[in-house]
Amino acid sequence: MLHHLSVSAEHSPELLERVLRVMRHRGFHVQNMQMNLVTENRQVELQVALASERAIELLTNQLAKLIGVTSVQVLEQASAAKLVAVK
Amino acid sequence: MNGAHFVVKALQQQGVKQVFGYPGGAIMPVYDALYDCGVDHLLCRHEQGAAMAAIGYARSTGGVGVCIATSGPGATNLITGLADALLDSVPIVAITGQVASPLIGTDAFQEVDVLGMSLSCTKHSFMVQRAEDLGSVIAQAFEVARSGRPGPVLVDIPKDIQLAAIEHACITHEVTEPDAPVQADIDAARTLISQAKKPLLYVGGGVTLAHAEAELRDFLAKTKMPSMTTLKGIGTIAPDQYAFLGMVGMHGTKAANYAVQEADLLVVAGARFDDRVTGKLDEFAVNAKVIHLDIDAAELGKLRQADVAIAADLKQVLPQLAMPLDIAPWQQHVLAMKQEYQWRYDHPGEAIYAPLLLKQLSDMAPKNTVVACDVGQHQMWVAQHIEFDSPRDHLSSSGLGTMGFGVPAAVGAQVARPQDTVIAVSGDGSFMMNVQELGTIKRRKLPVKILLIDNQRLGMVRQWQKLFFEGRYSETILTDNPDFVALAAAFDIPGETIVVKEQVQGALERMLNSEGAYILHVAISEEENVWPLVPPGAANDKMMEECE
Repeated sequence: MLHHLSVSAEHSPELLERVLRVMRHRGFHVQNMQMNLVTENRQVELQVALASERAIELLTNQLAKLIGVTSVQVLEQASAAKLVAVK
Repeated sequence: MNGAHFVVKALQQQGVKQVFGYPGGAIMPVYDALYDCGVDHLLCRHEQGAAMAAIGYARSTGGVGVCIATSGPGATNLITGLADALLDSVPIVAITGQVASPLIGTDAFQEVDVLGMSLSCTKHSFMVQRAEDLGSVIAQAFEVARSGRPGPVLVDIPKDIQLAAIEHACITHEVTEPDAPVQADIDAARTLISQAKKPLLYVGGGVTLAHAEAELRDFLAKTKMPSMTTLKGIGTIAPDQYAFLGMVGMHGTKAANYAVQEADLLVVAGARFDDRVTGKLDEFAVNAKVIHLDIDAAELGKLRQADVAIAADLKQVLPQLAMPLDIAPWQQHVLAMKQEYQWRYDHPGEAIYAPLLLKQLSDMAPKNTVVACDVGQHQMWVAQHIEFDSPRDHLSSSGLGTMGFGVPAAVGAQVARPQDTVIAVSGDGSFMMNVQELGTIKRRKLPVKILLIDNQRLGMVRQWQKLFFEGRYSETILTDNPDFVALAAAFDIPGETIVVKEQVQGALERMLNSEGAYILHVAISEEENVWPLVPPGAANDKMMEECE
C-alpha cells in the first residue's frame, strides 16, 4: 500500500538520515521523495511516498517524536497527486 | 576558559557530581578540565563498562548518568551501552571527543562517523559545530535525556571546539511540559474500570521513569485490583501487595500468565506489550479490553490496539483513575491461583539449587540492597525469587538483554549509593564479558559483592538447545572457564567456591558481612533450567514445566 507523508523539521546536517532511518527500520520503503530547505527559517519540508503493508500511524508516531520534527501529516492520495503536479 | 572547561561547567550546572569514562586523544582537553574541577571521574577499564556504570548510576538513583569516551574506538565501545539505555529508556548523557573539525571526513586517525552511528541507538544525538553552542547543547542533551520517555543522548565534540576560547555562552534551555490528559479519555477509562469484572493491572518500567511509584501504590490501595509486572516493573509493587501476582511473560509466574488470559480488562501502565511479555501476541489477553497509559504516544496502538489510549504523565493520570471496585469473586480467584502456584523450593539432592539460593539471599540481604543482574538463566531466577521493595534496587538489562551488564551496573550503583549493599548476580558466561571492570572495583575499593552462579555453560542458550534444537549443544559448553576465585584474587577481591546446599547459608553470611568486595562462586548443575517457560510462538497459558 502506498502512503503519502508531509514532514516539516528544523534543519540539521543529519536530518535526512535520521528521518530515512526511521522509515526503513519501521518497515516503510521510500518510493518517491522531495526535500526543500527554506533557508530563511532553516525549516525542511519533505514530501515522501512510502510503500508498506503496515499502518501508517506506526511510522507517523515514530517520526513525530524525533527531536526537531515539527509536524507530520498524512496526505490523501488526491492531495498528494496535486502537490506533485504543482511542483 | 576553553570549550572543554565550559563543558565541565555545564555538567556542574546540571548537578553532575560523578562521571564514568576512559580518556584518549580526541577527548584530552575535557580530561584536562576534569583534572581539578570537582566533578568526580571514575576510570572504567573499557568504554562499555563506563556506559553501563552510568546506566547503573541512573537506574539506582533516578538521576542522569554521564559517561565520557574518546573518538573512534572509544565511541564505538560505548554503542552497546547506548543501545541498552535506549531499549530500557535510561537517561544517560554520553560525551565523545571527535577529531578536529577540519579532519572530519578525511578518515583521520581514530575518526568514525559517531553521529551517524548513534542514530539507531540514542534518543537523540548532537555534533557540536560551534564553541558558542556548547552550553545550550549540553543543557538540551540533559533535558532530552530525562524528559518524556527518557533515553540516552550523545554529544560529539570535535577537539578544536574543546580547545576554542569561550568568553560568553548561554547554558540554558527551554523546558517543555507534557500535555495534560484529555478529560474525555479519563472519563472513558473510568467507565471501563468501573464496569470490569476481572480487571488486571499490568505495570512496566514506565511507572518508575515517571517517578509515579507512590501514585501507583495509591491506585492499588484504592482499587485492590490484581496486578502483575514486567521485568522492568519488578519492585514497583510491594511484594506483599494484595493480589500481586509477580512477573508476567516467558518466565513469569503461572498465576500471572493464567490471570492475564482470563482478565476482561487490562490497565497497562508504562508498559509496551513486549514479545517476552505477551507470547503469541494475537492470543494475549484475548478476553480483555485495554486501557493503555504511556508518556510515549508511539507505544499506543503499536502492538495492541487499546480501547482507551492516554499519552500523558502517569503521575497525573493514575490518581484520576483510582476508585473502589466491586470485584470480590475475581480477587478470590486470583488469590487462589497465587496460593496454588507459589514457588516451591523443595529440591532433591545435595547440589545447590539456584532458586533456593536466591530466595535465601533475598531473605538475608539488608533493606535497600541493590541487585544488578547479568543476562541469562540467573537473571530470570533473580526476577522470580528475589523480592524487591523498589524498582531502583533491581537493575536488569531487560530490553536489550546485554550480557556483561551486571558488574559495571553494580559499579555505578555502588558509587551512587555508597551506604547500600550492592550485589552483582552473574553467570559464568556473562561475567567474562566485562570482567575487566574488576579493575574498576579495585581502583575505587568498592564493596561490590559478586554472586557468580556457574554451570560451566551458556545456560539459557543451552536450555533452548535442549528443548528446541534436539540437544545439539553448539558452542555453549564452558568447562574451560578460568578459576574465578583466583581471577578475583588478582584484583584483591577475596572469595570462595561452594558446591553443596549446606554451604549456602554460611557463605552468604560471609559475603554479606564482608567489608569490601567479595566473590561467592557457586557451582550448580548444567541440568537446572528456568521454569515455567512459554515456548516461542505459544500463548502465555501454554507454559512448559520441568516434568516435560
